[in-house]
Amino acid sequence: MTTPTTAQQCDADLIESSLADPEAFAALFDRYAAMLFRYVSRRLGPEAAEDVVGETFLAAFSGRRRYDLAQRDARPWLFGIATKQVARHHRAEAARYRALRRTPVDGPVEGPADRVAAGVTASASRPVLAEALAGLPRRDLDVLLLVAWGDLAYEEVARALDIPVGTVRSRLNRARRKVRAALGDTDPTEEA
Amino acid sequence: MDDLELIRDLGRELEHEPAPSLLRQRERLMDAAAAGWRRGPGRWTLFGAVAAVAAAAVTAVAIVVPAALTGGDARPAGMDITARNPGNALNLLVIGSDTRPRVNEARSDTIVMVHVPADRKNIRAVSVPRDLLVDDIPCRGVRGKGRAPINTSFSLGGAACTRMALESLTKARFDQTVVVDFNGFKGMVDALGGVDITLPQAVSDPAAKLKLPRGKQRLDGTQALAYVRARRSLGGGSDIVRVRRQLQFMEALTQRAREQQRRNPVRFGRFLTVAAGSVEATPRWDLRSLRALAGTFRDTGAEDVEFAMLPVRAAPEDSNRLALDPAAAERTFAPFRR
Repeated sequence: MTTPTTAQQCDADLIESSLADPEAFAALFDRYAAMLFRYVSRRLGPEAAEDVVGETFLAAFSGRRRYDLAQRDARPWLFGIATKQVARHHRAEAARYRALRRTPVDGPVEGPADRVAAGVTASASRPVLAEALAGLPRRDLDVLLLVAWGDLAYEEVARALDIPVGTVRSRLNRARRKVRAALGDTDPTEEA
Repeated sequence: MDDLELIRDLGRELEHEPAPSLLRQRERLMDAAAAGWRRGPGRWTLFGAVAAVAAAAVTAVAIVVPAALTGGDARPAGMDITARNPGNALNLLVIGSDTRPRVNEARSDTIVMVHVPADRKNIRAVSVPRDLLVDDIPCRGVRGKGRAPINTSFSLGGAACTRMALESLTKARFDQTVVVDFNGFKGMVDALGGVDITLPQAVSDPAAKLKLPRGKQRLDGTQALAYVRARRSLGGGSDIVRVRRQLQFMEALTQRAREQQRRNPVRFGRFLTVAAGSVEATPRWDLRSLRALAGTFRDTGAEDVEFAMLPVRAAPEDSNRLALDPAAAERTFAPFRR
């Protein structure tokens, strides 16, 4: 749907041209709506994700004058806005993760340590992971999921949430510590 | 396995692909973009253009068609409200309907409320977005469904139902409902030998089978239909932008009709026959008496019509829908309540 002329432009150019021609903003939707949808659908499910994507672009559109045009890539900005929108559904998000906890995938659920020792697969560890995510404070969860599910670099997360990179690292570490503890803390991989 | 990898795996399990309904969100965005454009400073010339266009739409529906259909002698007025009170204030409801061959259900694509004061000056045309949520629509088959978008009233209950829904919303009465079938456009345009429009930029929309160069050109019926219907390539799918384009086209069509009326009466007659077939008025127009009504518009020009969008905002219960801005809407409705 992106027209050939806008396909060449970087996000910042698009946003800049949308100041004079608001309808140019649609190209940004065409570029990133599906990506944001996939991300939000992981956190809130497909129904809420549509709303959240719509709200995100409306909020982005009305805030486009404040966009820092030096940032060519608008993804961190959009993820940041989406994160704020997701926050309004925080209870639903936690409930979604808790519901996963109650739907075991393979066989009987045992203690976390046993499962890790038996060599966990992603689906077998799902209930434990989901429980851990449901229990994380929102600020830590946002950082963790922007990294793990949004594929943002630390600097991009920092931009998205408007926090220093150091804070990104400390929140991520704290979140991962809790997840590992839930998994039985036998994971040998230590990341700085 | 790394804990981040486990989380990534979980994420992939939970992920959904976007459904086509995500495009609704794009339309919301485009409506906001169109509204932003209208509101921006220094955009009043555009607003003026829209007013002129609306004037033309009203003129086409309320003046050109009936006036020309009223050849022959004028007889005493019939029973319809407009004809009984040719010099009085009028509220018209104009619905542009899009009945596509493959889809049986008629959709109201364009809803415009028009208030015509007794002096035929300061005519107000107010466009109603089809996603506007209204309380319980008061007609059979729709009643009891709770809040619903206004266009449901047309698809489920027809023009009469849309009128009732708007009457209960505005607390005003509409004397006349006029449904214009977009398919009839094709024939109307061809009967006129084409309509001239000027495009600020070239348009290429394979989906609508429409490819037009920039600048002034004459559209035949098929092109004109594609042009007024196209959503994606022109204005990015926005309703408001599309309504504006349709009204602009109406202005061009009216101009062409007036021109043909002078130059080629035979062609003009053909146009009127086709036009009459694609406009459905309720109460049914008494053509003879409408001549008297048309006469009252003699001194009305495009500059006498002001066009506006109904003041709306995102509905609190559903951001995909629109809700009235109550305070501003009161001001918009006031002239309609006589």
